[in-house]
Amino acid sequence: MTASPARRLGGAALALFLAALPARPATEGLLAITLTVVNGRAVAALDLSAVFGPSRQPEFGNGLNNLVEIYTSVVPANGGTPSAIHGRIIEILYDVWEETYAVTIKDPEHPSGRRLVLPSFDALRSLLSDEREIDLGAAGGLPEAFTVETRVEVNPISKEQLQRTREYIAAASGARPSGSRSVLGAVASFLLREPDAGRDVHLFRSALLTRSGVAGR
Amino acid sequence: MSPALPVAAPPAGLPGRIRTALRISRFELRIAAALVLAATLPLVGAAGLADRVAAENLALGLDPRVVQRLQTIPALYGDLFQARKQLYASEAGELARALPQNGDVNAFLEAAIRRTPRLRRITFISPEGEVRAEREAATRNPEGEWREAPARVELPGGGRLECVFAIEAQYFADLAEARDLAETVQGVSALRSEIRRSYVRAFIALLVVWALAAALLGIWLARGTTRRVSRLVAGVQRLGGGDLSVQVDPGRANDEVAGLTRAFNAMVREVRESRDRIVYLEKISGWQEVARRLAHEIKNPLTPMKLAFQQLKARFDGLSFRDPAFGRLLEEVGEIMRDEIGTLQRLVDEFSGFAKLPDVRPEPTELGTFVEDYLRQSPQLSAAADLELTRAQDPCPVDLDRALMRRVLANLCANAVEAARPAHPRLHLGVSRQGGRAVLTVADEGPGVPANLRERIFDPYFTTKAGIGTGLGLAIVKKIVLQHGGEIQVGDRPGGGASFTLTFPLRDAPPPAR
Repeated sequence: MTASPARRLGGAALALFLAALPARPATEGLLAITLTVVNGRAVAALDLSAVFGPSRQPEFGNGLNNLVEIYTSVVPANGGTPSAIHGRIIEILYDVWEETYAVTIKDPEHPSGRRLVLPSFDALRSLLSDEREIDLGAAGGLPEAFTVETRVEVNPISKEQLQRTREYIAAASGARPSGSRSVLGAVASFLLREPDAGRDVHLFRSALLTRSGVAGR
Repeated sequence: MSPALPVAAPPAGLPGRIRTALRISRFELRIAAALVLAATLPLVGAAGLADRVAAENLALGLDPRVVQRLQTIPALYGDLFQARKQLYASEAGELARALPQNGDVNAFLEAAIRRTPRLRRITFISPEGEVRAEREAATRNPEGEWREAPARVELPGGGRLECVFAIEAQYFADLAEARDLAETVQGVSALRSEIRRSYVRAFIALLVVWALAAALLGIWLARGTTRRVSRLVAGVQRLGGGDLSVQVDPGRANDEVAGLTRAFNAMVREVRESRDRIVYLEKISGWQEVARRLAHEIKNPLTPMKLAFQQLKARFDGLSFRDPAFGRLLEEVGEIMRDEIGTLQRLVDEFSGFAKLPDVRPEPTELGTFVEDYLRQSPQLSAAADLELTRAQDPCPVDLDRALMRRVLANLCANAVEAARPAHPRLHLGVSRQGGRAVLTVADEGPGVPANLRERIFDPYFTTKAGIGTGLGLAIVKKIVLQHGGEIQVGDRPGGGASFTLTFPLRDAPPPAR
């Protein structure tokens, strides 16, 4: 028995609608956070060991560039827009000759990147799991009651990768015997949109915190 | 032939012209819609397939096994490097075991460099950390063809042997390229859905552009026809309003619409010419009646006047006593009366001739031969002027009343001779075929006819020769030409002078094209 055309169209529309929805995080959990005040600024340390378990070694040690993006925000308890947002992008490349992990960390404090060479996966895992020095702005600017939310994306499609894919689509059409570029490929390259974050996305939310409860240092 | 007249004045100014250019008629819209439908309907169907084709092509190009294998290439290089490191460590260990305790270490190291493949440098370091001996391969690495791979072996008695092996730099370049390719394919694979959607979007975008182009092309193509049809409709409307001067531009195309337009123009021309002919002939008939009455009224008293004067003269001649002064006066008056009566008599004769123009009795005639015969049979004309006749090679068979046409030629030639004086007249006559009609031209080298008088010179009693002509010659010419179904026009002769052009229907002319 075959489905009617109308039903097939409806199914296709539903599939398109679902595909257009933003990806749901793979895991959601309680964020272990240590929030201290350093020189008047709220600085957080996060425990992300739930994301970066030992099973990540084949992925991060595959000799390809890997990307981890960590976004942390302060959300008032009564809702509303976050009062502070911090982003950190970590690029990881395992050097199969040197057998070390070359890590570049970019954040507002180091916009051009801070480079590290880690000798082992354990050291890398420790670095990723124990995120420190996350500046959440002036301590006085924190809401009276708030939570800290962290979104971790592992190997999302970066803008560089998107641009590389665009060039690949356009260049692939140019590899014809005539050497001419395909209009369709060029237009498709131009119309390629930024995708959602992918499937390896993890969202954590801290317990309710108060401004007065933030420890000074 | 009248020039093509615009059926409607174009809107003044650039905005008006733009509005006219952008105005789309319903006919244009229909043709454009038909073209868009014809162009896009198959493509709309193809758009449904585009998504499927893109998905299947991506599936073919991005086989998960290929992506997976590409991703494992760096790991394979890692295994290769591991194997090389182990090999170098093993070779370094063998060299360490063979190192002579008390012998010539330098010679051993020299031999080791020669014997061991890819060994570039070997250094023996004493337990105290001093370099006891060192040898290096003579082969340099100026192009960076290899990279150093160190291997260190601790010696049992203390000290160590440090070896530097070579590993091909090409491996690292290949590794970087493989990594780049694997990451690209990985990205494309991750973006597979987006790529598929972008191809569908691109296809639809190109489809829209295609449809727009088809619409514009359709409107452009339709406009070439619809504008001409619209002009023709407007022309018909003006004709219906009584405007017989309307002519519609058929354009450069050679299609049915252009043929219809040309046929319309020809029909309007024929109607206009027929009307003009009828009007002129009616006018001429009126003037002929006037001429007839004038001739009658003038002619009647001439004889009694002549008789009365003759009686007066006879009575005077019979007198016994005649006053000589009165006799001289009577002679002078008699001479004046005879002259004036003679003038009036000639005028009456001309009026009578004009009033009694006979009906045309045409007979088949070859126009060129007829003109040639006329010139040959007119010695007085040959004596009065230089004549030049140009005949077309093709014959020009027409239907002519030869007697009336001789009168036409006589009037035209007399006019031409008069116009050229006091210089010696030169007359140029020509016979040719043009557009299915026979053409006779009579041209002189005189001062020509001013443009503002060209319409009036064919009117009866209009003359530019004050005191000489009666103004009937050209009127008679035109009436005879019209009675032959012909036309007459006056213009300038190239090089100076007037040129009268007479056209007559050819006997062998094909029917007008439809």
